[in-house]
Amino acid sequence: MRIDPEVCIACEACIPYCPMEAISIKDDVAVIDQDECVDCAVCLKSGVCPVDCIIFEPAPWPRSLRTTFSDPRTEHKETRIAGRGTEEMKTNDVTGRFKRGWVGLGCEFGRPGVGTRFRDVDKVAQVLAKHGVIFEAKNPVTILMEDTKTGKLKEEVLNEKVLSAIIECMFPIEKFKEVISALREVAKEIDTVMSVECINRADPDGSYPLRKMLDEMGIPYYINGKQNVGLGRPLAEV
Amino acid sequence: MTHSLHRRGTAESLSEDYVMLCLPAIGINDEGHDQKLQEFLRITLRHDPVNIGAITLGNMYSHKTEEVVNAAHGIVHAVFVKQDDVTEVLKELDKANLGMSVVVSGIFEKVDECCEKAGLKHHTANFSLGIWGRTEKLPSDDILEVTTMCGHAMISANLVKDMVREIKAGTKTPEEAAKVLAPQCACGIFNPVRAAKLLAAMAAKES
Repeated sequence: MRIDPEVCIACEACIPYCPMEAISIKDDVAVIDQDECVDCAVCLKSGVCPVDCIIFEPAPWPRSLRTTFSDPRTEHKETRIAGRGTEEMKTNDVTGRFKRGWVGLGCEFGRPGVGTRFRDVDKVAQVLAKHGVIFEAKNPVTILMEDTKTGKLKEEVLNEKVLSAIIECMFPIEKFKEVISALREVAKEIDTVMSVECINRADPDGSYPLRKMLDEMGIPYYINGKQNVGLGRPLAEV
Repeated sequence: MTHSLHRRGTAESLSEDYVMLCLPAIGINDEGHDQKLQEFLRITLRHDPVNIGAITLGNMYSHKTEEVVNAAHGIVHAVFVKQDDVTEVLKELDKANLGMSVVVSGIFEKVDECCEKAGLKHHTANFSLGIWGRTEKLPSDDILEVTTMCGHAMISANLVKDMVREIKAGTKTPEEAAKVLAPQCACGIFNPVRAAKLLAAMAAKES
């Protein structure tokens, strides 16, 4: 994103809209800090600029990642899904992606509203890889990996900043304690925040084995969350 | 895409916040899905949603309701403040047999009550374990309760602060301020009714 200095009237209307606080007034015009800007286009699409001086020009690789990860209106070519992640549990009734006895784990870096560089994503992905998780093949972060066995991301993307990026993986529920413990340790080393989530298929009696495990381990979780209510067809056998 | 997870707030506040998503599984049942998503939105519109949205276009605060319905593609959303409305939508969806996956976000036990009354069983859950890492970088909890209603972080903390200032100054009502925030959340999962209450409380606290 950039601002046309010949047109800007320094009204400051765009400043509060930027989720990354990357817009400021310098020499009587608004300027965007290009290193901090994640090209989410919130400033432009808010329509708040009275003189239409906010400009978006598609960036070359690897900066192009900023838009595809930060603007949910942009569809990832690889996944055909807009936003940062995949269908994950939302279509589990049809895909059967998460079977009984397995746990899905998501670590969403930079959320809420802090932003992240891919170097933090890389750090955590490599730790998770050491514990044998299976990275979701259709996830845009997985596509940025040099090798899904090591979790290492391509070197050229590490300094790119995005509003958020999510690692999605799965593993047998027996490994939950081991994986969560490792995640807790590496979370101390990142320079951003991450919102952490877990996915679990309900047992035939309606209970979630993962919830019992979280309670037993004393791991806090929100009272609210997402539930797939099983209306998708054809139903998968899981 | 976990955009309707991680919404923060008290049990009382979250008891007025339900998000419903409807989508096909790509490569399995996505052929001709646009019409089914449109039907989902039409069903929700019969039960007093406070927001609906289609990611390809925007939400009912940035576009006309019928425009949002016609733009349905990929995934669509509806937001409710009343548990009974969620139940009625689920009952209609069950009868409509659209074959699309439906996800309900909200307090687990309340969503389970809705499912039970509608004759449905939850299939898979997504639990939030909260925010880890450098949490000192986050804005205050009351700001987060508003901003996390847009899971893609399209609503900045500074815009929320601006709206609180405007309410305090008397230049906007809480409802008007919420309607400034709502269009920023392109998916349409922002709950402006809940937001107005939260903004009013923030303004009152700071007065």
